[in-house]
Amino acid sequence: MMNVAVMKTKFEQSLTEQFNHVSARLPGGAAVGVARTAALGRFSALGLPNRRIEEWKYTDLRNALKEPLAVAVDDDTKVTVADLIVALGPLAHLEGPRIVFVNGGWRRELSNLEGAEGIEVAALGATLTAAQDKIGEALAGTTGPDNDAVLALNTAYMTDGAVVRVGDGIEVGKPLLLVFMRAGSEGRFVATRNVVSIGKGAAATIVEAFIGLPGSTAEGQHNSATEIHVGDNARVTHVKIAADTGKATHLSNWMVGLGAEAVYRGFQLNQGLGLARNQIFATYHGEGAKLDLSGLFLGRGAEHIDTTLVVDHAVPRCESRELYKGVLDGEARGIFQGKVIVRPDAQKTDGKQMAQVLMLSPDAEFDSKPELEIYADDVVCGHGSTAAELDTDLLFYLRARGIPLDTARSMLIESFVGEALDRIEHEGVREVVLDFARGWLSKLGR
Amino acid sequence: MLEIKNLHVKLADEDKAIIKGLTLTVPKGEVHAIMGPNGSGKSTLAYVLAGRADYEVTDGDIIWNGESIIEMEPDERAAKGVFLAFQYPMEIPGVAGLTFLRTATNSVRKKRGQTELTTPEFLKVVKDRASKLNIDFDMLKRPVNVGFSGGEKKRSEILQMAMLEPSLCVLDETDSGLDIDALKVVSDGVNALRSPDRAMLVITHYQRLLNHIVPDKVHVLAEGRIQKTGGKELALELEQSGYAEFQGKAA
Ligand SMILES: Nc1ncnc2c1ncn2[C@@H]1O[C@H](COP(=O)(O)OP(=O)(O)OP(=O)(O)O)[C@@H](O)[C@H]1O
Ligand SMILES: [Mg+2]
Repeated sequence: MMNVAVMKTKFEQSLTEQFNHVSARLPGGAAVGVARTAALGRFSALGLPNRRIEEWKYTDLRNALKEPLAVAVDDDTKVTVADLIVALGPLAHLEGPRIVFVNGGWRRELSNLEGAEGIEVAALGATLTAAQDKIGEALAGTTGPDNDAVLALNTAYMTDGAVVRVGDGIEVGKPLLLVFMRAGSEGRFVATRNVVSIGKGAAATIVEAFIGLPGSTAEGQHNSATEIHVGDNARVTHVKIAADTGKATHLSNWMVGLGAEAVYRGFQLNQGLGLARNQIFATYHGEGAKLDLSGLFLGRGAEHIDTTLVVDHAVPRCESRELYKGVLDGEARGIFQGKVIVRPDAQKTDGKQMAQVLMLSPDAEFDSKPELEIYADDVVCGHGSTAAELDTDLLFYLRARGIPLDTARSMLIESFVGEALDRIEHEGVREVVLDFARGWLSKLGR
Repeated sequence: MLEIKNLHVKLADEDKAIIKGLTLTVPKGEVHAIMGPNGSGKSTLAYVLAGRADYEVTDGDIIWNGESIIEMEPDERAAKGVFLAFQYPMEIPGVAGLTFLRTATNSVRKKRGQTELTTPEFLKVVKDRASKLNIDFDMLKRPVNVGFSGGEKKRSEILQMAMLEPSLCVLDETDSGLDIDALKVVSDGVNALRSPDRAMLVITHYQRLLNHIVPDKVHVLAEGRIQKTGGKELALELEQSGYAEFQGKAA
């Protein structure tokens, strides 16, 4: 969709203008440079998405993000291992290799890739510089929508991220943790990109964490994109934990491509984000693949959390499941948009979608927009969404057994979200997500 | 001692009076039965004792251990020893029975100044008490009451009671839905809790239960008030005569 010519906001202006100053310091060779310049051109032409664009009608970024932000390049904010452990919270106990980025830059001294057996992990920045044009071409052929201004900004400004590869037939036991930390005294614009490739018949668990360093500014905007290619017969668990302190902006795109008979389970936790837009674009390339997307969004205050999924059944006999749970307090706003496309050839498609929200406050708001675009005739597709309050009868029952109100509420909320958390197959990761959610719940009513 | 004085109760969000001047005293160590026709306000009385917000006390008072409880929250009352075994126990999907029992037990223990039970201590106690009530321990790993049969739900209520060690036990039709053997097991469980420190209020429609849990007094509740009080033989009389004589009288 084209944007009519409008006055650029300060944010749009600043992001357009800074390119000339920083582009020389962004990693990559000529091909990457060309891709960046083209992407910036798209961003300048489109501007940030606004509510007149159908997909963005509930989340008007142009209106919400007006203030100029400095782009983070070669950030050198000091962060120690001890700082990292504190910031990781429940994630500190997750066993497995980790690669750490602070304000969009790889920190070798905070990363620990020992024990990353069977999984190749490298920093994107270094990779772009070393193998310039190969990666550049790969990025130019990205699977995301080319009219998405957020993704365009990412391509233009990405500083770093993880390049992950699991070879054919390799089963990786421990989860790989990608940490993106916000730190420092000033809010920045940070763009990172991950490129993940899982070989045929391989298995892996990958966790992305977006966290803030305690004591830092709560402001800032992180623009993140992950491209993941899941080979035929591969099994992947892909989890995002975006847990911050309540003011930061989180814009995220996942582009998922599934091979034949592949099983992909994606989960996203959102809490403590001032404004979040989580987009997932999933496309089936081979028959018989299974996609399971689930998530939990927890909002309070004036937080705004948007999940927008586009699942493209391009080939026959694939399955998609979406289960999202939200808990909204204060004046928080939750949005769930789930589009399922079933192409004419995609017979025997089996798709089910559900979004359920618990409203803890009369001022909270939930908007749900399921969209089924079905062009094949032999398919089973369904969707639903609910918004309910805590059951006062059950609350009474728990309290009549001596359980204090706060605890009783937490127990009921936990039981409500449990069904979504159960979709995370890796037990250790599931426990970590539950710990984060409990941390959020423990601050209810304060 | 439980003292209910001239209690008037209406629905919280409607002008419908349900209890209209009820007075009743249950000393510690005694078991009193309440019988009465459907819709006479027995469950309402039980809920009001436990502090359910759907009802509003418009007049009168409820004194437990010398203290008025009508302004207290339900969990506060539970800590003070009040326990209601529900006529219709609720299902709590997603909350495991053991988690629920442990949270409840330790919440009241904490409020009563007792030490909280560690996991092994708790498991030992709960296993012992569950087996006395013929409750399969594995059932407690399932979500609270979900998929339980009517009788299983009632036994699960009595297990909760046994764990919380209340001093005022209110049993609302605990016998309904129980088979003959289960009735015996549950009654034994209740009788085991009879003590000079406990008062019990047993709501029932059937004299049969009172053969197992022998009451010190029987009260007839009809049209929102206690209409008659007698000894355990009153239950037998009611079985013969029914409630006709207590109904249709203006309160
Ligand atoms: N929450 C409520 N909303 C509407 N009406 C209610 C409510 N609670 C009780 N009532 C009404 O109050 C009256 C008394 O109900 P209650 O459940 O106390 O009767 P009961 O004596 O326990 O009857 P039963 O023997 O059938 O269990 C009934 O007419 C009932 O419909
Ligand atoms: Mg009743």
